[in-house]
Amino acid sequence: MSDQTQFYLSTLLIYLFIDIIGVLGLNLQFGVAGIINFAYIVFVAVGAYTAAVLSLGPDYPGNFQHYVFGANLPFPLPIVAAGVASGLLSLVVGVISLRRLRSDYQAMVMLVLSLIATLVATNATGLVNGPAGLATVPQPLYDWLGLAPLDYQWAYAGWCAVLTAVIFLFVRGITNSPLGRSLRAMRDNDRAAAALGKNVTAMRLLIFVVGGAIAGISGAVFVEFIQAWSPGSWLYPETFVFLAAILVGGAANNWGVMLGTLLVPVGFLEATRFLPQVFYNGFIEAMQWVCVGLLILVFLWFRPGGLIPERAGRYKPRAEAPSGTSE
Amino acid sequence: MNQLIPAIGFGLITASILCIAAVGFTLQFSVTNILNLAYGDIMTACAFAAYLANHAGVNIWLAMVIAALFGAVFSVVINRFVYFQFVRRGTRLFGMIIVTIAMSLIIQNVLLAIFRPTFFSYHTSPGPSYNFGGMIFTASQLAIIGIAVAAMLAVHLLSTRTKLGKAMRATATNPSLARSCGIATDQVIDVAWFVSGALCGIAGVALVLNTATFSEVTGAGFLVPIIAAAILGGIGQPYGAMLGALTIGLASEIAATVISPSYKDVVAFAILIVVLLVRPQGILSEVATAKEVAV
Repeated sequence: MSDQTQFYLSTLLIYLFIDIIGVLGLNLQFGVAGIINFAYIVFVAVGAYTAAVLSLGPDYPGNFQHYVFGANLPFPLPIVAAGVASGLLSLVVGVISLRRLRSDYQAMVMLVLSLIATLVATNATGLVNGPAGLATVPQPLYDWLGLAPLDYQWAYAGWCAVLTAVIFLFVRGITNSPLGRSLRAMRDNDRAAAALGKNVTAMRLLIFVVGGAIAGISGAVFVEFIQAWSPGSWLYPETFVFLAAILVGGAANNWGVMLGTLLVPVGFLEATRFLPQVFYNGFIEAMQWVCVGLLILVFLWFRPGGLIPERAGRYKPRAEAPSGTSE
Repeated sequence: MNQLIPAIGFGLITASILCIAAVGFTLQFSVTNILNLAYGDIMTACAFAAYLANHAGVNIWLAMVIAALFGAVFSVVINRFVYFQFVRRGTRLFGMIIVTIAMSLIIQNVLLAIFRPTFFSYHTSPGPSYNFGGMIFTASQLAIIGIAVAAMLAVHLLSTRTKLGKAMRATATNPSLARSCGIATDQVIDVAWFVSGALCGIAGVALVLNTATFSEVTGAGFLVPIIAAAILGGIGQPYGAMLGALTIGLASEIAATVISPSYKDVVAFAILIVVLLVRPQGILSEVATAKEVAV
């Protein structure tokens, strides 16, 4: 394999692992707990910004970019901090919006949050450098390892693989635990879950924070790899790429969503990148978004369970509860 | 104080546009229980319809009528052939919101693919300016305010003075009961989407007339104040949406003058957060409570 192919493949692999981490977090919220978080990408972004500013040195006068809290922290700390920061933000957002609101009402509020977050980050230039975003974020341990660029790529891919495995085991631990069962019960019928003594609001909030922290970690690992981050890379439709991956793969099934990640963000969006530019610059990109929307609709229509549906519970429900006008 | 009076003037214009849009949005919710997140993008599609008509030589006000018709038909089609099909299949509210956002993504990017990523404007002149005690309005802005008032009056008369309006309110409150009373709810729903789609089209063109240029994301960008106005007024309540639109419109334009124009929507968002914390069912809450959006 030529160096270029290796470079490309290793980059693709890193993207795959990072997307898997992100999708696992969203699946926990959306697939398992039934929270429609249209602002998921905001928590990814917050993690990325946190990791970026903490890895960068303190801002100084005359610097080409402006930000807060430059700290030069060593390798694993910015990522941990990213998880904490996104988790804390999730807590705040969750306390406000996850009270007993109807699920689609919550989703709408989340969408608004996503739009506003972009607006604020773009306009508050002093915070994280506005529309230009942050650049020259140091790659972790690059000097210390002293590897050639290509070897470093593979090393980074390895590190992402390890992290993905850890997150996967953690998420699977939650979904297979009694808590996971309660969460699925809440998703399917939150009143019944509440009637059985489950504290629905607290569970929702907990899983929202855990999912948010995972989002932050995925953002942090991503920014430390590509070394730059700007509002243009986390506009609200990005959440729908993750959502499409979940719906295609199979909501609430951890293996399913990993397959979905391989197919949608990595497979589909990467493959179409090599199409020749037709008509004008940006046409292909517009059509990609149309396809993401269509994928969501098509899977919701023909295969709502996704490619690998969630395993049915051992105790089958006798009959669907009659649903009136409400959910 | 010198800045405040013109800001109130801008606020009245924004509120007028917002009023038309938010009433349409809330009407769709009240009758079909769907929060249509593609609403902003349908607005953009209507603005493009008016653009095509306008550039084919049609006067902009006539183009607005064309856009309203386009929006009405387009909305009915989307509801009938996409949303309603999913509802009938048993897609829950949880899934419906994803359907509407997917629709939004599709409409927005189809428009982008057709019209290319650039800015568009209508062939029109804003007309002479008038000064009302410090508030300066152009002729077309006055027309927008007039259209908003007329549209609100029409919605009011439709829902209180006609049998159709009564049927619409009945369907909104309890669809199955309405059906057992002999109301053809499917047709009523079509009419409701037709009316709200027309409002959507008018709002889309009015928005562009006020901002002068537009692109494929213009309507989606306007979704934040629309949602804020609808929730503030109590989702599903046309009168509440009017009240909400007036509040959000004035507050955001005053904030734009006092703080910074880029934070217009942030004010709408802040109001939204406060409403969610204090009274998630909004000021007028009948429909919101009946549909259990917030307990």
